[in-house]
Amino acid sequence: MEGVDHKVTDLVKELVLRLQSNSEPTQNTNPPPDFQKSLRYALRILSSRMSPSIAADSAAMAESIKRHLATQGKSSEALTFADLYSKFASKTGPGSINNKWAVLYLLKVISEDRRNLKNNQSDSRVSSGFFTSSTTPGGLPALFDAKSNDVSSNSRVLRSRESVEKGWSNGVLSVSKDPKNIRELAFKKFVDLLKEENEVSEEVLVRDVLYACQGIDGKYVKFDKNVDGYVLNDSIKVPRATRIMVRKLCELGLLFRKVKGYISESMDRFPAEDVGTVGQAFCAALQDELSEYYKLLAVLESQSVNPIPSFSESGSSGNYLSLRRLSVWFAEPMVKMRLMAVLVDKCRVLRGGAMAGAIHLHAQHGDPLVHEFMKRLLRRVCSPLFEMVRSWVLEGELEDIFAEFFILAQPVKVESLWREGYRLHAGMLPSFISQSLAQRILRTGKSINFLRVCCEDRGWADAAMEAAAAAGMTTGRGGLGYGETDALETLVMEAAKRIDKHLLDVMYKQYKFKEHCLAIKRYLLLGQGDFVQYLMDIVGPELSEPANTISSFKLAGLLESAVRSSNAQYDDRDVLDRLRVKMMPHGTGDRGWDVFSLDYDARVPLDTVFTESVMARYLRIFNFLWKLRRVEHALIGAWKAMKPNCIASLSFTKLQGAVKLQLLSTLRRCQVLWDEMNHFVSNLQYYIMFEVLEVSWSDFSNEMDVAKDLDDLLAAHQKYLHSIVEKSLLGERSQPLYKTLFVLFDLILRFRSHADRLCEGIYELQARTVGSSLPSQDKTKLGRHLNEKPSEPGSWVSDGRKALTQRASEFLRNMGQDLDAISKEYSSVLEGFISQLPVQQHIDLKFLLFRLDFTEFYSRLHPVVS
Amino acid sequence: MDPEAARTARESLDLAFHMSNVLDAGLDRHTLSVLIALCDLGLNPEALAAVVKELRREPSSSSPKLETLSSVP
Repeated sequence: MEGVDHKVTDLVKELVLRLQSNSEPTQNTNPPPDFQKSLRYALRILSSRMSPSIAADSAAMAESIKRHLATQGKSSEALTFADLYSKFASKTGPGSINNKWAVLYLLKVISEDRRNLKNNQSDSRVSSGFFTSSTTPGGLPALFDAKSNDVSSNSRVLRSRESVEKGWSNGVLSVSKDPKNIRELAFKKFVDLLKEENEVSEEVLVRDVLYACQGIDGKYVKFDKNVDGYVLNDSIKVPRATRIMVRKLCELGLLFRKVKGYISESMDRFPAEDVGTVGQAFCAALQDELSEYYKLLAVLESQSVNPIPSFSESGSSGNYLSLRRLSVWFAEPMVKMRLMAVLVDKCRVLRGGAMAGAIHLHAQHGDPLVHEFMKRLLRRVCSPLFEMVRSWVLEGELEDIFAEFFILAQPVKVESLWREGYRLHAGMLPSFISQSLAQRILRTGKSINFLRVCCEDRGWADAAMEAAAAAGMTTGRGGLGYGETDALETLVMEAAKRIDKHLLDVMYKQYKFKEHCLAIKRYLLLGQGDFVQYLMDIVGPELSEPANTISSFKLAGLLESAVRSSNAQYDDRDVLDRLRVKMMPHGTGDRGWDVFSLDYDARVPLDTVFTESVMARYLRIFNFLWKLRRVEHALIGAWKAMKPNCIASLSFTKLQGAVKLQLLSTLRRCQVLWDEMNHFVSNLQYYIMFEVLEVSWSDFSNEMDVAKDLDDLLAAHQKYLHSIVEKSLLGERSQPLYKTLFVLFDLILRFRSHADRLCEGIYELQARTVGSSLPSQDKTKLGRHLNEKPSEPGSWVSDGRKALTQRASEFLRNMGQDLDAISKEYSSVLEGFISQLPVQQHIDLKFLLFRLDFTEFYSRLHPVVS
Repeated sequence: MDPEAARTARESLDLAFHMSNVLDAGLDRHTLSVLIALCDLGLNPEALAAVVKELRREPSSSSPKLETLSSVP
């Protein structure tokens, strides 16, 4: 200690010496006379103040020096100083200065003193020994020096106060020496001001806001219907900012109220069966979210009990809750609650699948928070729907009490189960299930029901289990949720594939669909030629009677005999059983030909394909084909009559020349006409049988092989029938042609009767002629024959040869005229028919035209005027 | 003193001298080194600054000061 003191004294001596020699440069090197005095003085100063009055913070000191320099306008020097200081401060270890702060402070004070001295040479009184109060000479020397001129205690006070304030502005902390406690005063004033402005304290407001956010009116914050929100009563005096903040926070309360209202409403309505399972699921999901919200509110309420610290206190007293803190806490719940309120508004009027679809649309959001939230919600909401889909697709069960599913069932007869039993309700189809997927779902469930009801088949359960196993889930409940539309799709596709295949198997194998189609073609579409021939032969004479005299029993018997005498007897018994005669409803004047038809009885389940309307179409085609066959049959009959026989040829030789010529020409004309008609009919027949029926059948057969489900099959069959109808001139577009055709048919039938008459007449003539020239034995034979056939009893025999010739010629002339008439009419109608053919839309009719007119005989006869 | 310490001391002194020049303290290197030594020993820098200020004044004004001060306890 003494060593130190000694050292100190030495150093002080040294210092004094140097300083004195500095200030008096003209002095000689001897120690000045008052060295000892100065030394004593210095020592006294040093001992009077042992501890500094400011905190030892070298960085702060450096800062203040820098600022000092900057305010004096010496910014470059400030930078230099900063640089130096940083280097200075980094010097540590032996040899460095430990008390850096002291050095800095020293330099600072010295420089200031010098400045003061320079500026204030005359004002030496200022720097007289009043050091005690000049603690921190502050930053504005000019101001300071200009002001204070007297040395009274006032200046000291002023200086001290100013120094206190300036000390603040320099950033240097003064812990003591603040007698007036200005800061505290300021804060107290502020708190008083706050108390004046706010009638209600913030804690109370916070608690009220918390109540509002649960939908309960607080003491000051109440629900206002006009504004539709929770507001602070206007009579309460709070600053406007607080009012606005309260209003913003209470938006949460409003939204909460809306959501809660919806939930309780739905719960009340449930017994009235207005809210479906999907709506219930939605309410349950909302309630879950609300319980999370309640938890948050509980935590906040516990925190709101802590008092809000006022400004004068330092530090925080626990987790308090102010309005501002509340707004931070409410940020996330506000987003969620807003979402829920929007959904509630949207779904107030929706139900079932439509509700799920609307919510799904809202879930298409980019914000991950919103997306997660909506996904959770949708998972709950869609689970009843997915369950319904699963049970429909795997079991064909439709448990839909509240009509929320997009498949509707209608009670229909068994035969229309497939077509009309179930349909899609587009309104209830949620938007995340595509239209094609919905169609597949519908078809799968429909197939299961069809199999169960119409086919009485149990094998579909195995198919369903296989499908479920393939898709990776059991046939029990659960397992499917929203967001797994892929899984749903796989399940549906697997099920659809298997069940469709099973259905087609059942149709083909168990119910022999193909065989029945073929049977219909052979019988109803007159494919079995020999059977048709026999039928026509047998039934023909019956049918010429008026319709109301024909008994269907008799016809049925005739049908049976026709079947037995043709190859049709080898057909399957089941098929033959279904074939029946049907008499259509007839009016008076109808002949049997008009009302006769065959019918095929297709029972369940085949009558989904062969419905009433389909069978009616078949009937129409049958009628047409039957008429065509009849005409053909008639012509063949005429041919049989007209074929040259010895009776006719003999007449040529016996008759006179004129009559012979007439006879020949008439016969010739008849034959020509027959030929024309036969050409027409046989070509038409060929066209219908081969180009229409067979081609359509082969197409249909191919499509049947590749059909994947019953819908495909139905469509193929529809197409098949349609093409037949169109091509055989039965469609609406071919109506005029159809009429022409029937006119032609009528003409042909008339011709037949004429031809028959002609041949009969010739035969008669022949008989007469032969009778007059043949030897007696023949004559007697013929005579007996003639006597048994009194066509025209007396006149022929009694007249002579001349009369006979006259009669013959008259007869032949009449016949000739008739034939001419028919011929003319026929050609004109045929020409009309052929001219109309090219105009037809259907391309296959061009083949008919080609066949009928391949030599362009008709078109050249009557060239078309373009 | 090892050369390292001596070098550090010299550099520190240089820096302090630069700083005092920047601040226009009017101290030469030797005086500054004495002052730094005194500070390091724990003397009050305010007091040292006062000493410097007093002893730098004109000798003409210092004598009456000394007269007045000597009467102050």
